[in-house]
Amino acid sequence: MSVIRLGYVHVRVTDLARARDHYQNTLGMDAVHEEDGRVYLKSWDEDNHHSVVLEEGGVGLVKFGYKVTGEDSLAALENRVAGFGATAERMSKGDNAGVGDGLRVTLPSEHVLELYSEVEYLGTKVGKINPDPWPRTGLRGIGVPRINHALITTEDPALLERFFAEVLGFRPAERLVSGDEPGDLVGSWMFCGENPHDIAFVNGPNGKLHHFAYQIDDWSALLRAGDVMSMDEVPIDFGPARHGITRGGTIYFFDPSGNRNEVFSGGYRTGADFRPITWTMDQAARGINYTHREIDQDFLQVVT
Amino acid sequence: MPHITVGPDGPAIDVPPGETIVEGLRRVGWRARYRCRGGGCGICKCPLVDGAVTYPGPVAESALSAAERSAGLCLPCQAVPLGDVVIEQRGRPLRPMLASAPRVAAPIREEK
Repeated sequence: MSVIRLGYVHVRVTDLARARDHYQNTLGMDAVHEEDGRVYLKSWDEDNHHSVVLEEGGVGLVKFGYKVTGEDSLAALENRVAGFGATAERMSKGDNAGVGDGLRVTLPSEHVLELYSEVEYLGTKVGKINPDPWPRTGLRGIGVPRINHALITTEDPALLERFFAEVLGFRPAERLVSGDEPGDLVGSWMFCGENPHDIAFVNGPNGKLHHFAYQIDDWSALLRAGDVMSMDEVPIDFGPARHGITRGGTIYFFDPSGNRNEVFSGGYRTGADFRPITWTMDQAARGINYTHREIDQDFLQVVT
Repeated sequence: MPHITVGPDGPAIDVPPGETIVEGLRRVGWRARYRCRGGGCGICKCPLVDGAVTYPGPVAESALSAAERSAGLCLPCQAVPLGDVVIEQRGRPLRPMLASAPRVAAPIREEK
């Protein structure tokens, strides 16, 4: 078993109609399935059934899913989770629309993470035969191509890093530390393929979502995304700016319920032999916002 | 017009009926401490010392609980004054800013 990518993020929203407007018309995702109080959405360049689920009632993360390769049995994975001392239960085909059997893990940080290998294939909007680089018709707003990563908060970053490494085979690309001891880990940006990060977490309350991000093409796409946000009166957190950590371009913004989103461009390539980069706390602001070298404390504190 | 007084030493302003406290302050050049402006993150939460507010938009229970409302707290990013109000921003000074107000009361668009 190896983890391929972040498959879906399932978030609560206070007002489903306003949330739909944001995710469909500002971000440009398509609704692929609806059931009572939930909407399932997909971006145009994603193959699989959905990548975002909106659930009416409250704010914050219900759970998120990572797609895994299917060669290992779920039982072996279950054993690894149990061996670490974390809990997991089986999930069944249909628990999530379009998603097959899997394992539902409660992380040491109390977040619920689902692992699955089978998911309905819907295909991208440009297809797989002589495709255009983007759909000529039907894109709305920013037209996000795909989701990319999530950043969550945990009371014990060192423990969560060890879980992702030992149980799920992730590696840290970048680490923010307050000292030399293992327990001095403040945040970790970890990857499962060759991205700079597929999951990240920083010190904070357990069970909370800092943001989830969409990957977009480049800096000019990022600036255009900012134009759409201004047209649509989207509250901006910060950006456009460059991250020191991951080197990506970024705009952070909020959905109408107050969940933080990001559009992210660039970044570098990692891989199995990548040696982690270290950031020290005195340079943390530069790490997060390389351009401005200062960040509002509320950027760190606001989670849903 | 509802009158908003910001304690302990903040401005006192008039806002058009129906405007939130955060938006009213922004319009006259003051940035209160807020983040999501959607009633979800709770960082703008502060004491409502006097007066009453209503919440036409959504507010997450995790951002402002019923108990916190009873205890006299409000969420200025979503709170619309019902008459004159006094809020307390002690320890969270307002910053002067030039802000552009939303050009439209963002309608929910037709799904395409």
